[in-house]
Amino acid sequence: MSQVNLESDIKVRNLSRIYSKASITIPAIHDVTFDIKKGEFVSIVGKSGSGKSTLLNLIAGLDKPTSGTIIFEGNDMAKMSRYKLALHRRFSVGMIFQSFNLIPSRSAIENIILALAFGGIPRKERKSIAVSLLKSVGLDHRLHHLPNELSGGEAQRVAIARALANNPEVILADEPTGNLDSITSKEIMDMLIKLNKEHQITILMVTHDKETAETCSDKIIRLKDGSIIRTLN
Amino acid sequence: MTFLDITQIGFSNLWKTRLRTALTILGVVIGIGALTSMVSFGTGMQKNITDAFKKNDLFTSMNVTPGKINLESIQEGDLSGLSDLTKEKPFPLTDSILEVIRAIPEVEIAFPEETFAARIQFKQEELNTNVRIFPTAMQYYSPFNNLLAGQFYSSDSTRAVVVSWETLKNLGIYVEDPTYEFHFTHEDSLKGATIISPDSVLGKKIQIITASINPNIIRNPFGFLMGNRLDPFGEHTEEFEIIGITRRYDDFNVNRFRAGIYMPVVTAKNIPRLNFSSVWDILDSNKKDGTFSSIYVRVKEINAMTKVREQIEAMGAGVFSIADQLKEIKRGFLIMDSLLGAIGSVALIIAALGIINTMLMSILERTREIGIMKAIGGSENEIKLIFFVEAAFIGFIGAIFGLGLGWLVTRIANQIINAQLIPMGQIPVDLFYFPLWLIFGAMVFSIVISLAAGLYPAIRAARIDPVRALRHD
Repeated sequence: MSQVNLESDIKVRNLSRIYSKASITIPAIHDVTFDIKKGEFVSIVGKSGSGKSTLLNLIAGLDKPTSGTIIFEGNDMAKMSRYKLALHRRFSVGMIFQSFNLIPSRSAIENIILALAFGGIPRKERKSIAVSLLKSVGLDHRLHHLPNELSGGEAQRVAIARALANNPEVILADEPTGNLDSITSKEIMDMLIKLNKEHQITILMVTHDKETAETCSDKIIRLKDGSIIRTLN
Repeated sequence: MTFLDITQIGFSNLWKTRLRTALTILGVVIGIGALTSMVSFGTGMQKNITDAFKKNDLFTSMNVTPGKINLESIQEGDLSGLSDLTKEKPFPLTDSILEVIRAIPEVEIAFPEETFAARIQFKQEELNTNVRIFPTAMQYYSPFNNLLAGQFYSSDSTRAVVVSWETLKNLGIYVEDPTYEFHFTHEDSLKGATIISPDSVLGKKIQIITASINPNIIRNPFGFLMGNRLDPFGEHTEEFEIIGITRRYDDFNVNRFRAGIYMPVVTAKNIPRLNFSSVWDILDSNKKDGTFSSIYVRVKEINAMTKVREQIEAMGAGVFSIADQLKEIKRGFLIMDSLLGAIGSVALIIAALGIINTMLMSILERTREIGIMKAIGGSENEIKLIFFVEAAFIGFIGAIFGLGLGWLVTRIANQIINAQLIPMGQIPVDLFYFPLWLIFGAMVFSIVISLAAGLYPAIRAARIDPVRALRHD
């Protein structure tokens, strides 16, 4: 893959996020700069507390940086209103979490319909879209099961289907295999790789599993104490 | 996300916590129930009184008096206006004035108001009462168009009278009335009191005894020397046929024509009696023969009141009408309604605190869910709206059942009150009234209060930090 021909999709410049509690300040992210190009599979690795999830939340627009900028598809996220940030999460990115974060009282299909509702999909079309999304992750037999009736792998596949509901260009995955056994982990990773290769969806994945990162990533960003110590292409 | 989606999410959230939702709604139900039953008591009182006013055409009638009376100063205890009335040259209310008033197109009926005191004798019983001189035209007006029995006289010179039910009762004649249950004391029973049908009174003769200046004294002031009695007053007895009995007065009846006996105009003219007939005559020392102390005027419609009044006042006469007092009465009711409403609102405010409490609990339980919604693109306004819909629903359902509760409570209270009133011989009343404005007002008020209670929780929910919320258990 020639990087020169690819336009940068996400530009992170001198990004810092400092948490301050009473008189103590904790720099979760410190002066981080990197680029992610369209269709890249990027892994962020590092130990617990190295600032991986904070970085992901900043790109998702769930958190605001203390300083520095994120230019997402040409738009400066620092200048976005809270409503614009909600639209960013709704249409531009899809999120996958270690703990799945499905709404427990809603069935698999209802969790996806909720995301479609936020996306403004007409009521009539939601059900068929949700069914085809669940079919694409191999869960058409589990449509009406509640999250606690699903296995970890199944729940994460529902989460992937939900992340894809509004056709995002970027998927932000926060330790997507962290709660899964190795066989299920491989299934999930294959699914993400497939999305990346076949549908050119940019993937930014946080993981502490170096091996997984190395097998699937175009780029690995290694964080330590909030700073990038190494970038591998 | 459409409003329907938001409504569905709100409802499903309330359904998930059914018991808590039901208890919160119950708080609103009690609040609205208290508020509406309180206010409906105020509106009920107002309705009873204004209805009675209307029934007796008090809004369309006025009294013309020989002089202007400053009623406000009299109400404030300043009676100097009354003495002025006696000093000032009065405006004599003569037959020609009466004709001028009758000629005003908006005037429906006008006649001099005259009553006199008399003693009546019927079936060996005697009673002092007052006799009102009434034109035959009054047969078309309430309450004289709806007598208990018999009919109103249709000739001004007939020797027939209409007797009030109360007068007969005071005479010990208990005329059957389907709305009244007599309760005889032991003493009554000993006297042989029985209930009789109105037919046994109608057509019977009644003696009316009036006091008058003894004509002999006037003709011969020294008659006492010739052995005549010194008493300058004489008694005069005349016999009349009872042709009608008026209905019993109920508690809200402000029949301003209350009298024991109603007598035709020409018939009354021929009865010798003392020449003062009303309180105005006593005050008005200048009253001359052939003039009236007061003329009763009824206008065709309520809007003509001011015009007719101005026309009569322009002649120099005084005008008094109950309608003038309406503003004062309305103000009084407004104060009463506000007070009752304020008491009722306390319950609703407590209910509102219940809503706030429930919502905050709900946010705490749903923190993670709110975080997820934000992570998948839910905006602050959408999350706010979800909570608003929940609050509004609590308010709406609370208002509907609250109105039901208020209605039920007032029905029961009314039953209890009437159960006390009926044995006392009072006509059953409906003390409570739910006008449309109260029903809709209670609905709107309940929803507004609920939304206000939901405001803070909704803002709080919308401002939840999604990063923390997603870590929340």
